[in-house]
Amino acid sequence: MTSPKPRTWALSIVAAACLATSAQAQTWSYKDAAKPFAGTSIRVLDEVTPLQETMKTLVPQFTAETGIKVEYELLNHFEVINKGQADMLSRRGYYDAVMLHGIQMGQMLAAGTIEPIDGFMADKALFNPGLDLKDLTPRAYESLAKFKGQTYSFLNWNYNFVYWARADLLNDAGEKAAFKAKYGYDLAPAKTTRQFLDIGEFFTRKAGQMLAGQPLKTDFYGVLHEGITGGATVSSVWENIMKNYGADLFDASGAPSFNTPETVQALAFWARMWKYSPPGQGEYSLVDVPTVMGSGIAAQSIAFSDFVLGIDKPGASAYAGKFTYGAIPVNADFKGPRSAGGEPSALVINKASKNKPATFLFLEWMIDKDTQRKLIEAGKGGVPIRTSSFSMPQFGGSQAAFYGAMKSSIDVVQAKPKVPKIFEIYDALGPIVQQVGQGKLTPEEGAKQGQAKMLAICSKCTL
Amino acid sequence: MSVDATLTAAPPWRRRFSDSAAYPYALIAPALAVLVVVSLVPFLYAVYLSLHNVEYGQVGDWNLLDNYAKLLGNDRFWNSLRVAGLFMLVAVPLEFGLGLAGALLLNQQIWGRSLWLPLLFIPSMMAPIVVGLLWKIMLAGSWGLLSYNVIERFGWLPGTSVFASSDHALIVLGLVDVWQWTPFMMLAFFAGRQALPASPYRAAAVDGADAFQTFFRLTLPLLTPLLVVIGMLRFIDAFKVFDSIFILTAGGPGVATESPSMLAYKMTFEQWRIGESAALAVLVWLAFFVLCNVFFQIAKKRLKAF
Amino acid sequence: MSIALAPRPSPGWTLLTAALAAVLLFPVAWLAAMAFKPDDTMFVRPTVWLFAPTLDHFRSVVDAGFLRYLGTSVALALASTALVVLVGTPAAYAFARFELRGRDDLFLFILATRMAPPICLVIPFYLLFTRFELLDTFAGLTLAYLTFNLSFYIWVLRSFCRDLPVELEEVAMVDGHTRFAVFLRVVLPLLKSGIVSTAMLCFIFAWNEFLFAFMLGGQNVKTLPVAIPLLITSQGVRWGEMAVVGMAALMPVLVAVFFLQKQIVRGLTMGAVKG
Repeated sequence: MTSPKPRTWALSIVAAACLATSAQAQTWSYKDAAKPFAGTSIRVLDEVTPLQETMKTLVPQFTAETGIKVEYELLNHFEVINKGQADMLSRRGYYDAVMLHGIQMGQMLAAGTIEPIDGFMADKALFNPGLDLKDLTPRAYESLAKFKGQTYSFLNWNYNFVYWARADLLNDAGEKAAFKAKYGYDLAPAKTTRQFLDIGEFFTRKAGQMLAGQPLKTDFYGVLHEGITGGATVSSVWENIMKNYGADLFDASGAPSFNTPETVQALAFWARMWKYSPPGQGEYSLVDVPTVMGSGIAAQSIAFSDFVLGIDKPGASAYAGKFTYGAIPVNADFKGPRSAGGEPSALVINKASKNKPATFLFLEWMIDKDTQRKLIEAGKGGVPIRTSSFSMPQFGGSQAAFYGAMKSSIDVVQAKPKVPKIFEIYDALGPIVQQVGQGKLTPEEGAKQGQAKMLAICSKCTL
Repeated sequence: MSVDATLTAAPPWRRRFSDSAAYPYALIAPALAVLVVVSLVPFLYAVYLSLHNVEYGQVGDWNLLDNYAKLLGNDRFWNSLRVAGLFMLVAVPLEFGLGLAGALLLNQQIWGRSLWLPLLFIPSMMAPIVVGLLWKIMLAGSWGLLSYNVIERFGWLPGTSVFASSDHALIVLGLVDVWQWTPFMMLAFFAGRQALPASPYRAAAVDGADAFQTFFRLTLPLLTPLLVVIGMLRFIDAFKVFDSIFILTAGGPGVATESPSMLAYKMTFEQWRIGESAALAVLVWLAFFVLCNVFFQIAKKRLKAF
Repeated sequence: MSIALAPRPSPGWTLLTAALAAVLLFPVAWLAAMAFKPDDTMFVRPTVWLFAPTLDHFRSVVDAGFLRYLGTSVALALASTALVVLVGTPAAYAFARFELRGRDDLFLFILATRMAPPICLVIPFYLLFTRFELLDTFAGLTLAYLTFNLSFYIWVLRSFCRDLPVELEEVAMVDGHTRFAVFLRVVLPLLKSGIVSTAMLCFIFAWNEFLFAFMLGGQNVKTLPVAIPLLITSQGVRWGEMAVVGMAALMPVLVAVFFLQKQIVRGLTMGAVKG
C-alpha cells in the first residue's frame, strides 16, 4: 500500500476547514443567541402603516423562536414622534426600541438617547453573520444609521415619494391628440419638471368643460400636493424639488443656504405648480393628499408611495386601478445627480432600555432576509429595504409600474442630514414655503426670509 | 318645609368639633389637598422648569429669566395672543347671545322639550377631537361636504378654501367653537331662567310690561350671576382651545390660526423647548390670574355675582 | 291671576325649535350616515346622498378592540367624577357658607388651576408621573383628571350652595344638630340635583378628554378619544371607522343626559326654592 500523497492531505485539510467554517456559520441561530435572554419581555414602538401592520402578524414567530416576548405597539405618525421622543428624552425607558424617522435622528443624537449598536455587532454571540448589511439599500442605510464612525441602527422602513398620475386620462385618445397639438410632444407620465407643469396646465379645467370625452361636473386640477404649513411639505419641497434644481437647505459646512439663485428657481417652479392645484391645497396634509386623489379631482400628484396603496385598491376609491406611477420628475436643465424625497426610518435602541441585547436580537430579526421575505409575501408587496427584495414576484406583474417608480426613488433617497433643530427650521420655513406656493410671497422674498429665519435658529445647523 | 325628623341631637363632643372654627377648613381640606397635588405641584414644577435651561428634557443650569426673554422676544408668541384674542372675540359673544336666545326659545311653550333639550345639547357632548374631524368633513377644501355643495356652488371663495385662507380660517374656527359650545350656554341659561321665581314676572305682566322690558329689566339682571360664572369659564376655555385647531389647520395657513396652545404644542412635542413652553404656561397663568382677579372684584361689587 | 290649565304648546315656537335642531344637528346626522357609507362613495364629487349601507366599519372597529377602550373610558370617567363629587361637595359648601380667612384668594386659586393651557402642563405632568411611576396607570390618569374637573365642580356648585336658603340649616341647628349632620341630612338632599347636573358636566369633560389620556396613558389605559387618531393612518383617515367611534362615544352620554335631564335642569334651578 502506498502512503497518501501530500496533495490529497492538503485537499482534505482544506475541505475539513471549509466544512468547519460553514458549520460554524450555520450554527448561529436566533434561538441560541437568545438563550441568556429567554423569558424577558421587550416593548417596541413603531409607526402604524400597512407595512408595520403586516409585521405585527409576524412578530409572534420571533417569540416562538427565541422565547423573548415582544410587545409591538403601533401609533400614528404624530404620536410615534411625540410619545417616542418623550420616552427617550425623559430617560423613562418604557420602550426598549423606538422608531425614529430620519429627520429625528439629529435631535435624538444631540440628546444622547440612542444606544450605538457597534458593540452588539462585534459580539459574535449576538451578531447574525448571515444578516448581509450590504444588501440594505445602501444610500438610505449609510446616510441614516452611521454617524461619526458609529452605527446607531439598521434600516427598517424606506418611505419614499413617487409620481402618481391618472392613467385613464393620460391614455385617452382625445386628450392625447389635443395635448400633442398644443405642446408638440406626446402625452405620457411626466418625466421632467417641464412636462409636469405642461400636463398640469393642460388638465386644469372648470366644471362644464370636457375631460376624456365627458363633461366635467366639478372643477378638475392638474397637480395635487401637500400644502399645509406643517407636515412633510417642506421635506417634499426640499428633496423632490430644490435638490433637483441644485439648491439645498444647508451647504457643505452645515450652514443655512436657503437664499441662492437655485432656490429661487425651485420656488418659482413650486409656485407655478400651485396654479394648477385645488384651492384648498393650503390645508392639505400628507394624509389628505391620498383622500383627494382618491376622490378623482386631480391628474397628477407627488406623494408617499405607501399612502398610494391605500387608495389604489378595489373598494377604496372609485378610481382604483386607473392610476399609473413614475419617478419623481427631474429638472432637465440641472446636470447634477437627481434627487427624490423619502424618509428612511429605523428602530433604535433606547439608551434607557434595560434589555438592550435582547432588543438588538429583535432588530436583527426584523431585517433578516427570511423575515423580510415573509413580510413581503404576507403584505403582497410593500416597501423593500433590501435591494435583493426587488426581484421578488410581488414587485412585478400588474404592479410593475408602481414598484419601478418606487425603486427609482429608493435608489437615490438619502436620510436627512443630522440637524438637531430641524423641527424648528421646518416650523419657520413652513409658512414661507406655503405663502410662496399661494402666491403671497415671491420666490425671491421667500428665499430671503427663509434664510433669515434659519440663521436666527442656527448658524451651523448640522451636528 | 320640614327638617328630617329622624335627626337627633348629637352628643356634646361631636357638636364641639363641627361648631369649631376649624370645621369649614376641614371641609375644604380634602379638595385643597387634591388640588395642591394635581394642580399646584405640576404648576410649580413648570415654574421651576421655566427658570432653567432644559436641554431635551434634562434640566440644566439656572438661567433666570432667559426663557421668558426668549418667549417675549418671539413674535410668534405675540401672534398667538392676537389669535387667541380674535378667536375669543368672535366665539364667546356669539355663544353668549345665541345661547341666551336659545334658552329663551326653550323657555316658551314647546311640545316635546324633553326630546329637544338632549338633542340640542349634542354638540357640547361630543369629544372635541371628533368635532374637529366632523368639521373637516364639512369644510375641507374641495372635498368637504359644505365646501363642495355650498361654497363652491355659490362661488363664495374663489381660488382658495376656508382653511387655506388666512382671512377666513380663524373666523371659521371661531364659528366651529360657537357650534360646539352654544348648546352648553343654552342649557345653563335655560336652567337659570327656569329657576327664576315666577312672582316678579306675574307682577310685570300685571304692570303691562312687554317682552323687551321683561327681558332687559327683569330676566337679564336676575340671570347676571349665572351669566358671569358661565361667561368666565367659557372665556378661559376659549383661550385654551386646541383640538379643533390641531385637526383643522394645525395653526395655518401660515400662522394665522396658531393659538397659544398650538404654539405650545409645537414647542413642546416637536422641538422639546421645554423651558420656553413652561414659561408660556406661567405667563398665561399670570395674565389670567390678574384678569380674573380684577373681573372677580368687579363682579362681586357691581354685579353682586359672588 | 290663577292659571288652572297648563298653557297650550305653541306650534310656532315648536317649529322654530325643530328648525334649530335640524340646522345644528345636520353635521352630526351626516357623521352618523358615514358610519354606514362604503369607502368608495365617501368623498366623491358630486356628493352621493343615497347609498347601499355597509357594516364593514362596525366590524373593523370591534375587531380593533374598541370595546376595551369604551370600557376604559367609562371606568375612568366614572371614577374621576365620583372622586370630584366626594371631595368637591364639602368644599363648595364651605366656600358658600363660611367667612373664611383668605376665602376669595383660595377661591381664585381654585379657578386659577384651570387657567394654564393643558398643553403646557402635559410635559411637567409627564416628567412627574415618570418619577412616581404613575404613567399608564388608572390611578395616575384619574388624578390628572381632577386637575380641571375639581375646580370646575367647586366653582359651579358653590353658586348653587349660595342659593340655598340658610334658614333651613339654621332651624336644624337651633334644634341642636351638629353642622356636619345638618350638612349631610339637610343640605345634601337639597343639593342633589345640582350635584347631578354639575357631575354630569364633569363626566362629559372627562369622557371626551384627549391630551392627558394620550400622553399619560398607554397600552393599559386607553380611552376612546385616544383611539381616534389611530384611525388617521398613512392610508388616509379611516373615516367610516372614525364615524362609528365618534357616534359610539356620543351615545352613552346622550342617553345619560336624556334620562337625567330633569335632574340636570332642576339641579341648575336651585333658586326655585325661593319661590
